[in-house]
Amino acid sequence: MGIIYVGVGELAASRSPGDVVKILALGSCVGVIMLAPQQKIVGLLHVALPDSSINAKRGIEKPGTFADTGIPQLLNELKKMGHLRGKLTVKLAGGASIMDPNNTFNIGKRNILAIKKILWKFGLGAIAEDLGGNYCRTLSVDVDSGLVTISSPGRGTWPL
Amino acid sequence: MATLTPVLQEEAIAELISERVSNVPLLPHVVTRLLGIMGRNDHSLTDVVKIVENDLGLASRILRVANSAAFSPRQGISSLQQGILHLGEKMVAGIAIGSCTANIFNRELIGYESSSGELWDHCLRTAIAAREITASCSRRVSTDLAFTGGLLHDVGKAIIDEFLNKRTQILTAMCDKGEGGDFLDAERDSIGIDHADVGFALARHWNLPPQLAAVIKFHHRPVEADPAQQELVYLVHLGDILAMLGGTGTGADTLSYKIDEGYQRYFQLGKDGLPILLLKIEEEFTRAKSAVFAE
Repeated sequence: MGIIYVGVGELAASRSPGDVVKILALGSCVGVIMLAPQQKIVGLLHVALPDSSINAKRGIEKPGTFADTGIPQLLNELKKMGHLRGKLTVKLAGGASIMDPNNTFNIGKRNILAIKKILWKFGLGAIAEDLGGNYCRTLSVDVDSGLVTISSPGRGTWPL
Repeated sequence: MATLTPVLQEEAIAELISERVSNVPLLPHVVTRLLGIMGRNDHSLTDVVKIVENDLGLASRILRVANSAAFSPRQGISSLQQGILHLGEKMVAGIAIGSCTANIFNRELIGYESSSGELWDHCLRTAIAAREITASCSRRVSTDLAFTGGLLHDVGKAIIDEFLNKRTQILTAMCDKGEGGDFLDAERDSIGIDHADVGFALARHWNLPPQLAAVIKFHHRPVEADPAQQELVYLVHLGDILAMLGGTGTGADTLSYKIDEGYQRYFQLGKDGLPILLLKIEEEFTRAKSAVFAE
């Protein structure tokens, strides 16, 4: 029972009652939340970039860094934890950007698009999302209840 | 009467900020000398060694970091010259500034809802980002100067913070309205001064070299800087943005700023290069943080 922090490029899964899985300060990174309500399993992935082709070595060493290597890895972790059948609930948060009218620095949007494309390949889609904007987010998932909470400095806390 | 009140408040705040700035301890001589020579292109390693060897505390700290696991020397480093060479002058400046300004950079920023240590983390990541952009895109600016500028760019937040307390939600609401104003505008609209101007006052109090003072004053509005210093200011402007995109900001204002596309006059940062740069910054930041600030 405790708080599991998921750093950049990391992923975690838990089915321990009382655990809270958390990502601090998501900027352009995206948090991919997968919930298996039947088995009460929670998985969380902290994606930094869309595509591992820029650094295949890193994609192997730390697959969670990229959308294309992180999502399959998270699904594997959920399987190992006991999710063998039943529906997965997916939620997404993060992918913020700077005020950039020409979208040069739109890495957040590119992350979101890459993640949605890969989820679709696995027949998955997000049922809730809190994406974009010009602010950072902290993300918490309660393993007991499956409740997802987002907070942002100066903007309060709200459920997803 | 109602219109006079905010003006009086702003005047009182300006006076108090000026008092706070003048009460900040001056930088140790060793740091001002280091920053002074790093701003010049004609200095040598020997010049840096000569300055550092006069400060026993700094010299031993540099040797400790140079021998740490994160910088993994092939064999033990025992001389200061070897240590500085191994770490690079940028890291030496970082260690020098970090060790004498910890009480400023490690403050909790209540007005930004930012925990203790986040300001330093943000500045360190900005410094690394500015250095990496400089190394890949700019031939005219020294990577040392870009790094040091990144370390110091947000120092004004440590002073202005107390005056933003209890106004945070108003400031974020001003930014989120979508009317084009950023957090700097919101600070100025709310209390009559912004963190860049407060930082500039501190830069003058510390007698920082003019390039570094310009970085602090104009890092959100680089187009307003003197053309002679604009390229450096743009490098730190972008470094700041990349640090925030990586999630290392200072709370409420993170990402609530505008990009100034004028950087394209000085260098190009291709769309495809951005992910590679962000990954490199992430790795270097993790390494530097664990080595220098693990103690």
